[in-house]
Amino acid sequence: MIGSKAVREISVAVITAAVVAIGLWSAMPATGQSARPARLADGRPNLNGIWQALNTANYDVRSHSAKAALAFRPGPVVPVPAAPVIAFGAIGAVPGGVGVVEGDEIPYLPEAAKKQQENQEDWLNRDPEIKCYLPGVPRANYLPHPFQILHSDKAIFFSYEFAGAVRNIYLKDPGEAPVDSWMGQSAGKWEGDTLVVTVTGMNDQTWFDRAGNHHSEQMKVVERYTPQGPDHLWYEATIEDPGTFSRPWKIRMPLYRHINPNARLNQFKCVEFVEELLYGKFRKTAQ
Amino acid sequence: MAFTQRSGIKVLAGAVAAAGLASLALVTLQGQAPAGIAKPWTMPRTADGKPDLQGTWSNATITPLERPQGVSNLVLSEAEAAKMEKATADRVERLNQDSDPNRPAPPQGGDGSTGAAGNVGGYNNFWLDPGERVAVVDGQFRSSLIIDPPDGRLPATTPEARARTQARLKMMAGRGQYDHPEFRPLAERCLLSFGPTTPLIPNYFYNNNLQIVQTPDHVMILMEMVHDARIVRIGGTHVPKHIRPWMGDSIGHWEGDTLVVDTTNFPLQQPFRGSAENLHVIERFRRVDANTINYRFTVEDPTTFARPFTGEIPFRATDELIYEYACHEGNYALSNVLSGARNEEKRLGTKK
Amino acid sequence: MTTRTTLSVLLLGAGLLLAGRTLIAHHAFGAEFDPNAPIRLQGKVVRLEWVNPHTWIHIETVKDGKPEVWMIEGGTPNTLLRRGVTRETVKVGTEVIVDGYQTKDHSLKRANGRDVTFTDGRKLFMGSSGTGAPKDGRDPGEAPKKPGGR
Repeated sequence: MIGSKAVREISVAVITAAVVAIGLWSAMPATGQSARPARLADGRPNLNGIWQALNTANYDVRSHSAKAALAFRPGPVVPVPAAPVIAFGAIGAVPGGVGVVEGDEIPYLPEAAKKQQENQEDWLNRDPEIKCYLPGVPRANYLPHPFQILHSDKAIFFSYEFAGAVRNIYLKDPGEAPVDSWMGQSAGKWEGDTLVVTVTGMNDQTWFDRAGNHHSEQMKVVERYTPQGPDHLWYEATIEDPGTFSRPWKIRMPLYRHINPNARLNQFKCVEFVEELLYGKFRKTAQ
Repeated sequence: MAFTQRSGIKVLAGAVAAAGLASLALVTLQGQAPAGIAKPWTMPRTADGKPDLQGTWSNATITPLERPQGVSNLVLSEAEAAKMEKATADRVERLNQDSDPNRPAPPQGGDGSTGAAGNVGGYNNFWLDPGERVAVVDGQFRSSLIIDPPDGRLPATTPEARARTQARLKMMAGRGQYDHPEFRPLAERCLLSFGPTTPLIPNYFYNNNLQIVQTPDHVMILMEMVHDARIVRIGGTHVPKHIRPWMGDSIGHWEGDTLVVDTTNFPLQQPFRGSAENLHVIERFRRVDANTINYRFTVEDPTTFARPFTGEIPFRATDELIYEYACHEGNYALSNVLSGARNEEKRLGTKK
Repeated sequence: MTTRTTLSVLLLGAGLLLAGRTLIAHHAFGAEFDPNAPIRLQGKVVRLEWVNPHTWIHIETVKDGKPEVWMIEGGTPNTLLRRGVTRETVKVGTEVIVDGYQTKDHSLKRANGRDVTFTDGRKLFMGSSGTGAPKDGRDPGEAPKKPGGR
């Protein structure tokens, strides 16, 4: 049993450590063009910066071993990379990952589970990322490309390097989205130091990853962005979609801030890069 | 140009800034004060003391970029401006009238429509939203967005620029504009909008909306089409010459209460009136009242234009929303254009 | 840049010169639709694609006793959304009349919505007041304000 005096000493130690940590956070060395304050004038934690996930969730949000490719054909002995991807060799292989899904299981309804299998088997034709389609939420946040958050007292805006996707986070809920969109409609509010964003009005065209994990247009995503120090955000997204899943499920991962002072988004307007893929067959001449 | 220099403004505390925000919102939503009851207006400022340019703005206007032939003055009278606006409103009213439900198919060989309508009649006018108002800058009704050269028209191009154009035309000899996707305009390919995003000239068709988000280090300008977010690095330096993003590379700084943005590094693939490699655009954003940013742009390229040109456009606050413009994802049009050319070649047996 | 790179870069967008494009290079209706293939259709809306750059209205008509679905190209939905139009405004099953021209690709049943109306002739997507009411909230019957919006 810990005596009350010891408890007080431990409490003081914990509080002191917390105060020191906060002090360290506020006194972080300058990055970017000016010293980066920990908070904006309105007291909110400063979300400005260029952020990126460091995981393999975009390959598969569940835990997964490495494998030879993203598309296979039945080989003479084991499945082998499909013809269109053979030439990539190790570059086309899938790295292993611990997974970001709480419970490591996506609670598909039976029909939806079948569709995920079909998506994965027909990956080359079906993955919207291949065609440079807007990635939707939450996939945009864990693509292998950074995104920039612009955060002022009036606005919170996400600008993604991939395909130049954007999300304006409405700080006043505009009501129901009049039509579906790829990136959905985001309405944000603060709960203490956590930014809570509710995303509705997404179409059914986006995936969660390259493993064919999918959803319907009924999906609602509730995101939580919680800072841990100036250079890390804990990102959680709860997925609700009664058309696809038997219950809500959650993903969770850290997001890392680029601390290099010369960090900036580089353009990745991949629409141009997929023209041969999509329109090559309409060319007058192949050469 | 009448605006007060405000140097040495104290940084506002959070609570005061919030109050300023609330009163700003009130003024914006209520619109203009009735004539004769002047509401004193103070520049809204961000926490770091800079003029607050944030919000959603429209740059739609019926004032054209270049002054029409036969109009010599930059400044129109109120009566002239009213006449222009009435003509626009009347035209919209006329085009919204009911059609004959027993109308036949349109004429074989085309309906004679010109311009964008392309002899096939385009589509209904209700899809368009080009603007209803003459541009007002510093209290003046403007006949053109271009204010310099004084005749309100684009300057002449240089012999060097004309030679470049000829060289390109020569290279296209024997090739058709529908042969490959790369020959189509960037807008048809959904790579960029069909008006320039730098400078922020309206397109005179629709979706002339932009959102500005401002932090001490960056100013983000989102054009509705094609969800293009231009991020200006305040106090930054330009990227290397070989890096040429579609909207160019923008850096900015404050001169008193004016945001000055400098953009270079434009892509070579779609020149702005023939200018690409050496295109240099300087933009100045100055908030002049609760509902207006005065936007002034200067375009210079001594290898293309005989002299720089400058224009002014009022950005008007709007409480309408910007919607997603996911262009590529729904781009049936590009495949229709290309497959149409191939289908037509086969049907008509044309070699070209 | 090598000579070949220079040449290939110069070629990009050079097709614009042939087309005589000016600064405002709007979507080329003339590039997509065939002035020699006029159509007039009457049928029920079976699907509305609220997409950019063009809305597509799918209409089921009857030809030689058999159903035939045509896709009709409209404009950007964003303009309409700002006028209060939603996906509920024109419901599946609504009867419409379309005149326009078929795509140059005659293997496709697609046409431009040169004029899309209800069966009584009213334009399909009017402003909510039905008379093109001005967006500044002014009653259409009210006298106009000073020009320029001031």
